[in-house]
Amino acid sequence: MFPKPERIILYILLSFFMFISVLPLWTCIMTSLKTMKDVIYTMPVQPPPSPTLEPMREAFDIMKRPLLNSFAFTLFATIFSCILGSINGYILTKIRFRGSEIVFLLLAIGIFIPYQTVLIPLVMTMSSLGLYNRIEGLILTHTAYGIPICTLLFRNFYEDIPDSLIRAAKTDGAGTWTIYRRIILPLSSPMFAVAGVFQFTSIWNDFLFGLVLARGTEALPASVALANLKGTTTAFWNVQMAGAWWYALPVVIIYLILGKYLIRGYMAGAVKG
Amino acid sequence: MGETVSVTIKNLAKKYGETVAVENLNLEIKEGEFFILLGPSGCGKSTTLLCLAGLLKPDSGEIWLGDELVTSVERDVYVPPQGRGVAMMFQDYALYPHMTVFKNIAFPLEVGGKSRQDVETRVKATAELLGISPLLDRKPKQLSGGQRQRVALGRAIVREPKLFLLDEPLANLDAKLRVYMRAELKKLHQKLGTTTMYVTHDQVEAMSIGDRIAVQKDGVLQQVGRPEEVYDSPRNMFVAGFIGSPAMNMLEGTLVKKDENIGIDLGISMFELPNWAKEAVREAERSEVVLGIRPEHIAITKKYQKNAVEAKVSFLELIGRELHVHLTAGEKTLIAIAKPTQRLDVGQQVWLTFDEKKIHIFDKKTEEALI
Repeated sequence: MFPKPERIILYILLSFFMFISVLPLWTCIMTSLKTMKDVIYTMPVQPPPSPTLEPMREAFDIMKRPLLNSFAFTLFATIFSCILGSINGYILTKIRFRGSEIVFLLLAIGIFIPYQTVLIPLVMTMSSLGLYNRIEGLILTHTAYGIPICTLLFRNFYEDIPDSLIRAAKTDGAGTWTIYRRIILPLSSPMFAVAGVFQFTSIWNDFLFGLVLARGTEALPASVALANLKGTTTAFWNVQMAGAWWYALPVVIIYLILGKYLIRGYMAGAVKG
Repeated sequence: MGETVSVTIKNLAKKYGETVAVENLNLEIKEGEFFILLGPSGCGKSTTLLCLAGLLKPDSGEIWLGDELVTSVERDVYVPPQGRGVAMMFQDYALYPHMTVFKNIAFPLEVGGKSRQDVETRVKATAELLGISPLLDRKPKQLSGGQRQRVALGRAIVREPKLFLLDEPLANLDAKLRVYMRAELKKLHQKLGTTTMYVTHDQVEAMSIGDRIAVQKDGVLQQVGRPEEVYDSPRNMFVAGFIGSPAMNMLEGTLVKKDENIGIDLGISMFELPNWAKEAVREAERSEVVLGIRPEHIAITKKYQKNAVEAKVSFLELIGRELHVHLTAGEKTLIAIAKPTQRLDVGQQVWLTFDEKKIHIFDKKTEEALI
């Protein structure tokens, strides 16, 4: 049995697209394992004639503090924005109050405000709070910017939790916070995985806020440090590529750990019950 | 078990936008009573229940549990659900999906700050009572419909509520289990003696387990009474038609008075009223009436009888011990219940005699019962 011709064409097309998408990654790995001499004398896609881990080590030395900074504020901002988003979602769907729809609408607008528009007031606010060039400042900024999208995600998730569950808990004698802690929170783990990965990735990848809110090394995020690797006179391609790998690593690890919950979470939103 | 209370509802009203859910409802439920709120879907019975539980604030009116005022719009009193000592069971059971059966039943006790020892003993006793002890470690997902129903019941009774509210508790069960659980609920009520308010759209359920029934339609209370009262003397055409299956036959006609005799001209024939009914309709303002007769009060004969209506058998349904005979008389259709042994054929010409003591007469315009 031979596959049908249309199948064969499909596979050829898919292989071609895969080749295109893998090519930059391949180039990146190959370059990061080359000495500067090899970088100059070989094609970017060629494997290194004399492989070396020196660029990796060199990039790590420069990137380790920024990576640590990034990890710290990304982790805390992710946790805070998810918790706040979850509480907002709970209040907006299950408690409701006069005008809660309007509050939600205003919150949702926050998703569509481009970062660039708030840069100047943001820097001014942060410096007047004494949070400029501080990890705490980045945590606060990313948490605040993450609230709208997290609220939206959790709100949509909680819409599917039947109201009778909340009513039952109320008649069972539970108050608003007991219901949140004992009923809502334990049921939210799939959504925490989804929102967590989403927030972690987008905060980790952010460049703009990091660029304007941090200087020197104390709070410098990895994204900005990576950009700084490009140097001023010479381009050390191998070190830059090695830096890119270090930068990508935490997000990949997070995805590998939470990936299965992520798919489950998306599915939970897609099909009810 | 714990103390139980009477319930008094005064002038309760609730609207959703323009839709009236409950209109000026007045009810008195006695201590320990098994009270049924019956009506078609969307008649406001669930709204009434939610107001009692404190899950919904009415637009006006008062609710008393015993001598405690728990809701009063006029006096601005509103006790939140957790302060009412009322347990409610929901149609979808609303079990907490992430908790085991044990945890589900323990939840109201834990929230109420009971000691661990106390929680354990009471959950176990409740599980024993409902026969769900082997299920305590399972999650709701792993249970059948009937088992879930028992767990929901357990969670409701475990903290010995003053009042027990059940919202269509049997609606999601299959027919056989429904009949079984109906009896179980009744037994449980006899054992615990807790005042119970039970909402259903199923009149058979209502008739079989209720001490008293309140029939509601479009938010308006139609009639309150013991099952047999509601069945035997419905106050209006809605109650008459809603309770009983197959439904009461309704024949439109005109009152005709001639000397001492009063009859109803049914178009197909004249039905002469018995003496007891004459007095009641003599003073009737309008002559347009509806004659109601339940299927089991019609006798089918093959020969002409006095005061009988001529009809033709259109089809037959044998339902277990009963034979449902569908008939046409002129333009009208009727159903009568006969014994399966009675020999009848489709298309056959028959005579219908109505049990004179069991007839109902309604005013066609107001739909109110005249007798």
